[in-house]
Amino acid sequence: MLTAVKNQVRVCVLSIKYNIMREMLNKVTFLTNICFMALNNAAFIIQWVILFHLKKDIGGYTMKEVMLLWGLAASTFGLACILFDRAFSLPDLIISGKLDAYLVMPKNVLLSVITSSTNTSAIGDFLYGILVMCIFSFSVGRFFLFLLFSAIGAVIITAFALMMGSLSFWFVRAELFGDNMVNCMISFATYPDGIFHGKVRFLLYNIIPVGMAVYQPVHIMMRFDLGSLLTVLGYAILISAAAVFVFYRGLRRYSSSSLMAARM
Amino acid sequence: MRKYAVIYRSVLMENMQYVMNIFMGFISYFMFIFVFIHLWNYMYSSPGELISGYTREQMIWYTMITEMMWFGAGSGTVSRQAAKDIRSGNIAYLMNKPYHYTLYILAKHAGEWSIQLPMYAVLATVMGITMVGSLPDFHAITLLAVIPCIILGITINAVFKLCISLISFWIEDSNPFQWLYDKLLLIVGTIFPIEIFPAQMQPFLKLTPIYTVCYGPAKLIVDFDMGKCVEILVVQIIYLAAGCSLMFFIYGKGGKKLYVNGG
Repeated sequence: MLTAVKNQVRVCVLSIKYNIMREMLNKVTFLTNICFMALNNAAFIIQWVILFHLKKDIGGYTMKEVMLLWGLAASTFGLACILFDRAFSLPDLIISGKLDAYLVMPKNVLLSVITSSTNTSAIGDFLYGILVMCIFSFSVGRFFLFLLFSAIGAVIITAFALMMGSLSFWFVRAELFGDNMVNCMISFATYPDGIFHGKVRFLLYNIIPVGMAVYQPVHIMMRFDLGSLLTVLGYAILISAAAVFVFYRGLRRYSSSSLMAARM
Repeated sequence: MRKYAVIYRSVLMENMQYVMNIFMGFISYFMFIFVFIHLWNYMYSSPGELISGYTREQMIWYTMITEMMWFGAGSGTVSRQAAKDIRSGNIAYLMNKPYHYTLYILAKHAGEWSIQLPMYAVLATVMGITMVGSLPDFHAITLLAVIPCIILGITINAVFKLCISLISFWIEDSNPFQWLYDKLLLIVGTIFPIEIFPAQMQPFLKLTPIYTVCYGPAKLIVDFDMGKCVEILVVQIIYLAAGCSLMFFIYGKGGKKLYVNGG
């Protein structure tokens, strides 16, 4: 059992490693993508400088906390797209019948699918997140918490994207709905939760899991609370289990398109 | 011009078959505006407060209009498709057709936004009236002057984005440059009106595409002024002429490079 898990992890790591090596074939494009994505994210600092110039406190957040929020959102989404990018384009595989190639592989289908591609620009997101955290609110403890929450957040976001993508097993045009929901998550993740109230807040902490992936971790990093940390961890396990369940239920409905393709 | 009209019409008819896809895009627009309504509601402490000369309603309507143009004139054809054509070598088959490739792309893009933009305009109006309240001092007749500004703004944006895509003749991936251009427009002109920036920066910002692409048309809707309208139209025509010259120049240079590389 342990050997099987070890082998599976090794296959995933190798898959991600080869994805990155493939992207690195053109070094200029690879580096341009990373640097410009970091710059792209940095442009939003202007937005917050202006907003904090108008008001000193926005939704209970100061500039330092908003930057931590931005940093965590960027590194969380970045890590998810470095490790599990295919989870975000799953509908494409389902609709065009490209899952066949993964079904015949001797390893876990889901892990083989989601680790089969890497988004180069996401490396820029991840590095930007860490850099922003180090500049605006560095402490050793917070740094390790940041890395931990980036990993947990990446799992939550991937699970959510996987569930949304799996809707394509059942519904036509579900890919558009899924894309929109993931985009919504990104939109909400970069604004303080203090500006939302009532039902919206409930929605953000339960239906669109941005609260557990980004907001709650930021609160914990500012004021550590073990109970909240365990809640986030429990939520990540729960949503991952739900995503795996939905994917495999959907997979039963999958039918091949007789597409001939080679994976290299 | 007739051949471009035919391209425009065929893309328009094609897009009318996929109206449901446009409806799906409404979710993102709704959520984005929803966030901004909450943000500006928080920023304005009292109903009558002014921020950089804008009331709460004007500020939210400004964002809704600029975002309506952003979402409604989706630029996939001028950015992703043009860059993909060049990267994949497909342009070798498109450039020897009896049309100019760049104008073909612009006609296709126009065919797409002609369907999307009115739909987003209806959504923006419904959202604005129900969630924010009607725009103070707005007269529907002013739309006659504003609509040409919106069309010119979208066209200028398409021309500049196409110029960036044409960089793919020299580098493999022009996407990173598109991100920076988009962010410049999004942060400086779409989310905020120019007046919110420090006074020293405003003359400089008025020289950038932001003034003609998003600020100008949105400003005219929230606070119409005939003098301002004429000024924006003149600047837009100058920008369009300069942008098209740049586009033809880059395409001409890039086409020669394609010949050398063999496509």
